Amino acid sequence: MAYALVALGFVLALNAAGAVNFAHGDLVVLGGAVAVLVGTWTGLPGILLLPLVALALGVAGVIAARVALLPLVARPVEATFVATIALAAIIEQSLNLATGGAPSTAPPLIGSGTLEVSGLVLGRQPLAIVVVGSVLVAAVWLLLERTQTGRRMRAVSADRHMARAVGIPVGRYVTLSLALAGALAGIAGLLLGHQFLVVPTQGAGHMLKAYIAVALGGWGSVPGALLGALGIGAFETFVSAGLGDAWASAALYLGVLLLLAVRPQGLFGEPAGRRA
Amino acid sequence: MTALVEIGDVSVSAGEIVALLGGNGAGKTSLLETILGFRRGRLRLFGEDATSLSVEQRVSLGIGYVPAGRRVFGSLTVRENLEASSSLPAAERGRRADEMLALFPMLGERPQARAWLLSGGQQQMLALARALMNKPRLLLLDEPTLGLAPLVVADLLQRLSAMAAGGMAILLAEQRAGLALSVADRGLVLSRGRTVRTGTRAELAADPELADLMAGG
Amino acid sequence: MQALGRFWLVVLLLAPVVALVALPPFGQRMVTLIGIYALMGLGYQLVFGQLGALNLAQGALFGIGAYAAALAGLPVAPLAAAIPAALAAALTLRLQSHYFALATLALASLVNLVALHAESLTGGANGLAGFAAGMSRGPSLLVVVWAILIAGVVLYARLFAGTLGERARLLREAPLVAATLGIDAGRWRLVLFVLGGALAGLAGAFSAALSGVVSPEVTGFPLMVLCLSLVVLGGTRHPMGAVLGATLAVCLPELLRELQGAWLLGYAVATLAVVLWAPEGLAGLCDRWRGAGSPKPPVPGLPASLPRAAGPRRLALQQVSKRFGGVEALQDVSLSLERGEIVGLIGANGSGKTTLLNVINGLDPIDQGAILLDGRHLERLPAHAIARMGIARTFQAAMLAGDSKSANLARALARGGSLLLLDEPAAGLADEERRQLAVLLRQLRTQDYGVLIVDHDIELLSAVCDRLVCLDRGRIIAAGSPAEVRADAHVRASFLGLAEAA
Repeated sequence: MAYALVALGFVLALNAAGAVNFAHGDLVVLGGAVAVLVGTWTGLPGILLLPLVALALGVAGVIAARVALLPLVARPVEATFVATIALAAIIEQSLNLATGGAPSTAPPLIGSGTLEVSGLVLGRQPLAIVVVGSVLVAAVWLLLERTQTGRRMRAVSADRHMARAVGIPVGRYVTLSLALAGALAGIAGLLLGHQFLVVPTQGAGHMLKAYIAVALGGWGSVPGALLGALGIGAFETFVSAGLGDAWASAALYLGVLLLLAVRPQGLFGEPAGRRA
Repeated sequence: MTALVEIGDVSVSAGEIVALLGGNGAGKTSLLETILGFRRGRLRLFGEDATSLSVEQRVSLGIGYVPAGRRVFGSLTVRENLEASSSLPAAERGRRADEMLALFPMLGERPQARAWLLSGGQQQMLALARALMNKPRLLLLDEPTLGLAPLVVADLLQRLSAMAAGGMAILLAEQRAGLALSVADRGLVLSRGRTVRTGTRAELAADPELADLMAGG
Repeated sequence: MQALGRFWLVVLLLAPVVALVALPPFGQRMVTLIGIYALMGLGYQLVFGQLGALNLAQGALFGIGAYAAALAGLPVAPLAAAIPAALAAALTLRLQSHYFALATLALASLVNLVALHAESLTGGANGLAGFAAGMSRGPSLLVVVWAILIAGVVLYARLFAGTLGERARLLREAPLVAATLGIDAGRWRLVLFVLGGALAGLAGAFSAALSGVVSPEVTGFPLMVLCLSLVVLGGTRHPMGAVLGATLAVCLPELLRELQGAWLLGYAVATLAVVLWAPEGLAGLCDRWRGAGSPKPPVPGLPASLPRAAGPRRLALQQVSKRFGGVEALQDVSLSLERGEIVGLIGANGSGKTTLLNVINGLDPIDQGAILLDGRHLERLPAHAIARMGIARTFQAAMLAGDSKSANLARALARGGSLLLLDEPAAGLADEERRQLAVLLRQLRTQDYGVLIVDHDIELLSAVCDRLVCLDRGRIIAAGSPAEVRADAHVRASFLGLAEAA
């Protein structure tokens, strides 16, 4: 479920900025780090930290895009590729220096331990993650599909030039999309940070999963990215149960390679390009 | 009659349809983009110097734009295309969208359809309805008849006439001069960015060299 | 891209010499490491720098080389890396940039997983140690590494300073144009990926020899980031880019020893700064500062005298049809072009003129009909193959930064071949330039070229063409001498948009 949030943020940023942000995974880790910091400082439980982390990372997301994405839009794609990878390294190294490389634990949402529901024993944290994640995904869906703001955000992603020509203030909506993407990443970091700890080097892994989700679901499609993320989660859990984590990841990567070899356009995506 | 837009040799006043003619590369689209603000150029809009205004500012003064190729927001539904283009508050916006759907029956039939599924003619009507959402005083159209069936073309041209009769100023860029001149009051012919002919509808229609000029001579 | 130049050659030769003569063993190891990273970077410059492909597997290939050297000895390493590189390239030939990045990232992650978990093979998280890599880690290693590096850099500079560099630039910046000039993008990608991978594997093997241990870190993402950064910092395409970037990467941690971790941060910041403000990298900045400057790539000019055409004699389209979505872009089009004639193609916007050129070139497939070149079928051939058979093409817009219309034409002519497809060569030209174009076109005819020219300047076409063909909504509505076509009622109606009564 947390991966769904990461993928959602990733695809929103992709559509808004028109380029892949390789630093997105590190924004997730940054979110976890902020949760740890503020949590230790204030002693608040995770659920109350949520809006703070969202705000902080929303701002971070916008700054990241202003620095490494938007100024390079006119240049060939290698430029944003390198810039966002460099940015990812910057975030990772800064976190490393700040924490001395030691993993830290983010505060749980509503306390750890388990809960018994009609005979089933469920972990509180995983349950809380599913609930919070679902609420957020639903909220974002509502925003995009049922509000004027969401409609305008989608219009801007669909055709930026035309959006301007009908009077939509494009800059404002791009910033909004990027802030939302950052906030989602940050919240995901908070959610994941209790069970899986906050380790500065995790950024690349998160980014890879989001990238795969978007590629599977159709480049730029929001529902596709969500389905892709849920699919990856399900696939990993399934394989992991039988063969262990390492095999789960290996199977995922092999699967992606095979898929790209056979269907260069992803499962539902756009055609691979002219036969040149 | 004050001109609503004045740029170079071109001016359009309320209630008139001006045809902007010329072959490919003659400069029609460039001119429209300059009026909107995508390209730099001196011009007056609604009586004031608009040279330093942004695209969003000019559009909010009252310009509607129907671009070449229609460019509807493909992933949005018909209704969403209309609503997203409006800066009105929610209730008024909904009512205005309803008005447009009623005015364009082929859109009113399927307001929930994704725009990329529509036919060329339907997309053209959507592009027009979208441009009308903010009640513009000046309407710019770039080759709206391209690829449309004759019946749809006739319908479109008739609507433009009706709008002009209601006070709209319309600048209609077209390569197919005959179509544009059938509704325009007057027109000018561009070639390589310069105006090479101006005249009333009658004068231009009678011009023997018009076909050559349209082919780009 | 410029050739190496004496200054840099001297620097390159001096580095290992000075190290051997004046530095203690510790310093020599550092210089060896610089050479190793530079080799990896050089390999990366082939795929990322020249082709512009978003490759994230270079680190993994380095790692494969390291493990291969530890397990099977040094000479195996480049091969061990080249094979997965070849496989990856073959599988990903057609992928667009963002999918290519993903594929290489998945490959790299897979390699990393294997390194971490295949304990029996790779020693798992502890890695391998105490192997005989086939080379001692002292001065002899330094000499070998630098000898190969210098040879590589000089060769790279030589090869890419000339036509090869031009072709790579076309592939990078205008892939469709490159295809119509006969450049096979798939083959380029394969060859450069394998070469680049082999270099990375070799570098990895040397690093195994140098450090005596191999651990999963050599296949990790941080190493990939380092490779990318050093190439960008040094100068993505500059022959000295990898060496300069590697020097910084190895020396900085030593210089900033107190601020242990901070050097990586500084390095990343420097990389970002370079992308934003100094894209030519340190080597490029150095050159500018020296006043050497980088010469602009030569813009091809039209040859002083046109050679006589040699190539196919006749292009024939037979009842070609093509649909785009629901629209008939071309309907039942038949036309021919022979050497020694100029045919003009006119039509209103949306009539299918550019589509027609695109299907001839092989940039778009047709749905029905046949396209024959001297009797050979072209319909299923890829664009670069068609170009090599003797058909050249220009495009409407300038193809590369800094190009002009005549450069477009010059490039197409330089291809050789005898049949030319020109897409609006007169657009945007002033009167005098149009006259010159007409002269050139007549010369082409005299030299037995066949020219199919799409344009809107009907005066120009009437003066130069032997015959005109008029398209209207995908169909040919008139063909014949310019005078006949211009006078044709259907043609006039098409352009004026009058009722399709006739």
